[in-house]
Amino acid sequence: MTEIESAPHIVRDVVCGFCGLGCDDLTIETDGSAVRARDTVCPEAARLFLRRADAREPQCSQYGEVTSEADAVAAARAILAAARAPLFAGLGVDIDGGRAVLELAARFGGVLDHAASEGLFRNYAAVQRTGWLATTLAEVRNRCDVLLVVGEDPTASFGRLFERLLPASPLFAGSRKVIFLGEAPGEKARAQLGGAETVHLPADDLVAALEAIVGLARGRTLPGGTVGGVAAADLAAAAAALTGAAYAVVTWNGATLADGALIAERATALVDALNLTTRAGVFPLGGRDNIIGVNQLLLWRLGYPLRTAIRGQVSEHDPALFSTEAALKDADVLVWVSAFRPEPPPDFAGKVIAFAHPETRFARPPEVFIPVGTPGIDHAGTVYRMDSIVSLPLGALRVATLPSVAEAVRLVAGDAP
Amino acid sequence: MRVRLTGGRVLDPTTGENGVATGATRTVEIHDGRLVTPTDLPAEEYDLGGDIVLAGGIDLHSHIAGGKMNLARLLMQEDRRAYPELPGAFCGCGGGRASPSAHATGCRYSELGYTTVFEPAMVGANARGAHLEMADIPNLDTGAYLVLGNDDYLLRLMAAGAQQEQINAYVGWMIEATQAFAIKIVNPGGINAFKFNARRMNLDEGNPHYGVTPRTVLQTLIRAVTELGLPHPIHLHGCNLGIPGNDETTLATILAAEGRRLHLTHLQFHSYGTEGDRRFSSSAARIAEMVNAHPNISVDVGQVMFGQTITASADYMSQYRNRAFASPKKSIGMDIELDAACGVVPFEYRDRNFVNALQWAIGLELFLLVEDPWRIFLTTDHPNGGPFTTYPHLMRLLMDRDFRNAQLATLHKAARSHTILESITREYTLEEMAILTRAAPARILGLTDKGHLAPGGVGDVVVHTEDSDREKMFSRARYVFKNGRLVVKDGEIVETVAGTTHVARPEFDRGIEKDMERWFDEAVGLKAKHFRIADGELRGGAGPTILTCEGTSL
Repeated sequence: MTEIESAPHIVRDVVCGFCGLGCDDLTIETDGSAVRARDTVCPEAARLFLRRADAREPQCSQYGEVTSEADAVAAARAILAAARAPLFAGLGVDIDGGRAVLELAARFGGVLDHAASEGLFRNYAAVQRTGWLATTLAEVRNRCDVLLVVGEDPTASFGRLFERLLPASPLFAGSRKVIFLGEAPGEKARAQLGGAETVHLPADDLVAALEAIVGLARGRTLPGGTVGGVAAADLAAAAAALTGAAYAVVTWNGATLADGALIAERATALVDALNLTTRAGVFPLGGRDNIIGVNQLLLWRLGYPLRTAIRGQVSEHDPALFSTEAALKDADVLVWVSAFRPEPPPDFAGKVIAFAHPETRFARPPEVFIPVGTPGIDHAGTVYRMDSIVSLPLGALRVATLPSVAEAVRLVAGDAP
Repeated sequence: MRVRLTGGRVLDPTTGENGVATGATRTVEIHDGRLVTPTDLPAEEYDLGGDIVLAGGIDLHSHIAGGKMNLARLLMQEDRRAYPELPGAFCGCGGGRASPSAHATGCRYSELGYTTVFEPAMVGANARGAHLEMADIPNLDTGAYLVLGNDDYLLRLMAAGAQQEQINAYVGWMIEATQAFAIKIVNPGGINAFKFNARRMNLDEGNPHYGVTPRTVLQTLIRAVTELGLPHPIHLHGCNLGIPGNDETTLATILAAEGRRLHLTHLQFHSYGTEGDRRFSSSAARIAEMVNAHPNISVDVGQVMFGQTITASADYMSQYRNRAFASPKKSIGMDIELDAACGVVPFEYRDRNFVNALQWAIGLELFLLVEDPWRIFLTTDHPNGGPFTTYPHLMRLLMDRDFRNAQLATLHKAARSHTILESITREYTLEEMAILTRAAPARILGLTDKGHLAPGGVGDVVVHTEDSDREKMFSRARYVFKNGRLVVKDGEIVETVAGTTHVARPEFDRGIEKDMERWFDEAVGLKAKHFRIADGELRGGAGPTILTCEGTSL
């Protein structure tokens, strides 16, 4: 497609709300209802912004049969009114949509959890026990001279991470060194790292290797040999680089680490030790589909994070009991909310009400499906970045034919008993 | 809608009306949210039977919104569990005491007769979040002070010797972009210095990177807000918070204002001497004397109240030091976006602890020794000195000497011998309390239609039944009207309504825009236009209440 043939409209400085990194410099081409990202976007943004001109007009359905919106809304309301234990999951929504879902849950009772909360709660295991010393994107960009990356190469999940974290001309950092503990950086990561010095420590036991670095940073010595698959000398060199840094940063993606809670705890301990003599911060990765924003919303509205149940106007938080996985066992109705991407609901034998992306492919047709617009494509909204501090205004890129989650959910809440 | 309150004794220090002293009663009428001259038109009538009528309370310094409060909530789930939702559909949304949810914040304040509360430490990078959160606080009008003075953009400008005009333009741009009401400085330059690994910062010490001193940061920003015509002076959390011997810094800071208006916040935490065998003493008398002698200075106290709380501050430098005293033993710190930082540390103030007991006494000494009630404000720096729900108890401490001395007698013995509190005979009158909590905050914030009961004012009206037990009296308002709507009856919430958010709009040189765009692109990694918050993002689309500013040439 060329510009002349289709006369597309070019929108610059578009905010991307998908992965949580908060890139806000995208160029997007729109042509009627068609949308596509141009130039330098990550594969995930390219995929999730794409809307084809020939896409079928999505419609509400019940048990896979097309129905009117009014019928779908009435059916959803009837299911909720009869529900004993609803679970509100997915929760891939902007803040206003989150407010609407929260109010629906407050009205009918139910458990609230986000599809990406596993990584968040691995980190919270550390935060709620000891707290941590953290940092944010702009600080890393300008101050970080030694970055320790624990686990996989995060570029797979956050396509432009190193470009955003370590630009070529920081205000303060005199040099850049990146230590990869675990997986080696891939080609894309290396390209983004540019002039930064990289070190790869191929640990086979991340927790043990990280623990050894914590000990070294506290002034202990290692007996030699290897720890967690890494030569003691290499670990000592990494610890020396970290303690010698002006501003060290430790990053990991709790969602992809089975031992995420232990990694978060050791990373926290490492940063605590470093701050005794120099400056350092943790920079935990995450934040997909506005999980941070919805979590923030719950904190200020209910006083609890995700994985909270509301019953009889009283809320209760339990990170184990009210995880989606556990709550599915007790729930009789699943309200699946996923506006950012076509993510299907988990297997569930009870009734399903889906406020979901129009291209969602369900394993079995839900009792009620109300397709919703995507924040940042079909309607404006607010999302939080992974650091939980910065939030961003998403704009609309085309005339919406679908309701936002907020609109759809408020229709269902409407005149409920 | 028209509301008529008859037979009330009106206490309105702004106009000098004191029905409590004269025994006179009069009718107060509200029409469509505004106070009006009484009429005989049909209205919803309330016979007050001699109860006291006040303007809605205004708290000019209480941490009610923003990322640090959410970190506090996250860290202190114990507090949330210990204070569950109160019964009743109107308040069935959240709980907590030291770090209450947005709804609990609005409802508890409302029950005490407060109708306007200012968040005193909004970090620019987190401003959008703070506004989203404020929109969910019912029954209160809000506003926020933007934290400046540790931002790399400003320090960089100052280090380069920028003209004051350029700094004014930057401050104006930031206030507009973040929808702020005033400028707060937290540990001027110190939070920034901590990012370069400095652990302390005195008033005349140079920043390790920029060389700029806290004194020059303070003076530069005082000039900026003066020349921009912001109604509220610089709201300063000074250097060396909590450090014994910081009294000298505080005295020097007052002089550093050089006669210009300056508000010193939570002064209690900055009034510590090093006398005595424990090297910790009260300097309240010295500092109060200095405040009394400088009419350009206003203060709020940040009174310490005993019990469990959580401290949340942008002063990460100080809070990193305070981690050692965390109770329970956990804390969060964060460097934020070339902008500021935050530190969240749970704390339990214990009456049998020497330092805590003396902090309590120092706060009360300040309240009682600062003479002019128009220049001192009732705060606990919620939640840092204690939750705002302790205000009625604090009011009784100030208004009832016997009660105060009885409390003092139960404290740590050595602390008692380090305070002159027992010898102070002053008791605040009801009129003075009305000044501290309504009339004076409205005046220093430049809110001309608040804090009084004259026609044209906002219909925020509170009715208290007089009781010689002032704690009991102020714990439960008989009626609270927010914009003329009844929200509290007999101390209980009967309705929740949306408030507004106050913002200030100074004029500034928009030539700064290009440079801001470049700074955000290159350094921050965020577009300036996405940092900027649109009016429609406030209060669920309702937008702010805008106070335009007129520059002065002081």
